[in-house]
Amino acid sequence: MTEQKIYSKVGEALAKGEFVLTGELEPEKTCDLSHTIQEAKEMAPYVHAANVTDSPLAIVTINSLAASHIIQEATGIETVWQLTVRDCNKIGLAGMIMGAEALGINNVLSLCGDHTALGDCPESKPVFDMDSATLIQLVREMVDTGSINGKEIEHPPKMHVGGAANPNADPMEAEILKIGRKAEAGCEFIQTQVVYDLDRTIEFLEGIQKYKVPIFLGIFPMKSYGIAKGFDMFVPGVDVPKEILARWKSVKTDISDKAQQKEAYDQLNYEFFKPFISELKSKNLLAGVHCMAVHYTRIFPKLVDVIKA
Amino acid sequence: MVVITTKKPFEEVLDTLKNINRITIVSCATCAALCQTGGTEGAKEMSEKLKEKGFDITTVVVSEDVCDNRVMMKDLRKIDEELSNTDAILTLACGLGVQSVIKVLKKKHPELPVFTANNTEFIGMTERIGRFYKRCAGCGDCLLNETGGICPITTCAKGLMNGPCGGMVKGKCEVGNYEKDCGWVLIYERLKELGRLDLFSKLRAPRDWSESGHQQEVIFR
Repeated sequence: MTEQKIYSKVGEALAKGEFVLTGELEPEKTCDLSHTIQEAKEMAPYVHAANVTDSPLAIVTINSLAASHIIQEATGIETVWQLTVRDCNKIGLAGMIMGAEALGINNVLSLCGDHTALGDCPESKPVFDMDSATLIQLVREMVDTGSINGKEIEHPPKMHVGGAANPNADPMEAEILKIGRKAEAGCEFIQTQVVYDLDRTIEFLEGIQKYKVPIFLGIFPMKSYGIAKGFDMFVPGVDVPKEILARWKSVKTDISDKAQQKEAYDQLNYEFFKPFISELKSKNLLAGVHCMAVHYTRIFPKLVDVIKA
Repeated sequence: MVVITTKKPFEEVLDTLKNINRITIVSCATCAALCQTGGTEGAKEMSEKLKEKGFDITTVVVSEDVCDNRVMMKDLRKIDEELSNTDAILTLACGLGVQSVIKVLKKKHPELPVFTANNTEFIGMTERIGRFYKRCAGCGDCLLNETGGICPITTCAKGLMNGPCGGMVKGKCEVGNYEKDCGWVLIYERLKELGRLDLFSKLRAPRDWSESGHQQEVIFR
């Protein structure tokens, strides 16, 4: 972190050099957050914070700021509020950043957001007045200078701002240089896209090491063979290696007892991610792990063990 | 440079012309002719289709520059008498064409409604006839000197100033099922070719809309 000011548990952990674990909560198309709150309660003992997504795939869900606030109030978990530049211009974004402070949100993840054309309101205007790098800059301006465009904010926001990175990006160099821009903008932490390819991940993380931004590695432990297959098929740019798919498939075909199946899947995740993360930690490439496996909170106790490696 | 137009569905044109009998067609012989939405051929085709539907075609004007008020004034002056015997004007031109005709007729024929049979798509680069590409948005703050001559406003689906975004997979864009090139990867490749990745690394401020978010004009004095 470029500054040691601490506004949240995530900020505190980074300042102390603690290895960070963040989870992910994905509110759905409902105004009732009870399911998400339940998941937040289940992961709360294990994580520093949980991300709250902002209409992923441009499919409308409850507003991520409102959801972050409600989840924090209901569970005491700290949230990393995800904010995309897809739906609001600078005025709207700045207003929400101030609203976040008023609602007790102290971490924001700046994202571009999936294009409106992909979602369930493809006719809506793709705003993109700013981008994920300049939104980071905006947050830092508001937090560090207490002003916006040189105009003072009476009670300025106090929060940490992070950004995303994709180690799977091809061409990789373009992505690395893009992270340089985010670092210049004042990015305080990076949460990466999900990775399964260790060599590629090492190459990428070594490539962005010079920017000195703490990295939380994005992982997606797979709850079942169906989830693994779906992830491989439907998440563009992320390939689940064939040998992994085969191992998950064998659990499905070889074990009929559901409880034993669950245990086997959990164990496979443990066996895959433990050496993966150990290797990256031994190279000093990580400051934390960001687990994106939504609806799979039972994996967290094992994950805590994984990251201790 | 061509202002690219496409034809509105004929049913939509008919719907617009409801309760109208006598029509004057004003067709553009420049951009719209190139897009096959105007010109002599387009005017002939539209006349025939409208006649089939029972409309009277008062007259047809094929003009070189419908968007140029001076040319339009000269061409419409020649058919002033016919304009007194028509119920509406249907332009086969771009959006500028419709508005140019309205402006020119404002004094002498303010009662005449002016419609368009086309949709205006974009300012286009011509590869060959029938293949036009949007490569300039006319945004008023040209970035091409810094992006290797590739426009991020038009080639990036999000018009980002700091791409590529997370929607890029193997150099392709998430919009359109990964069939089109990611604009920012094109910029990266071009700048790499030019030995100017320093320009790619530059953090760019958001686009300044303060001068372009409203009615624009350029007046040389």
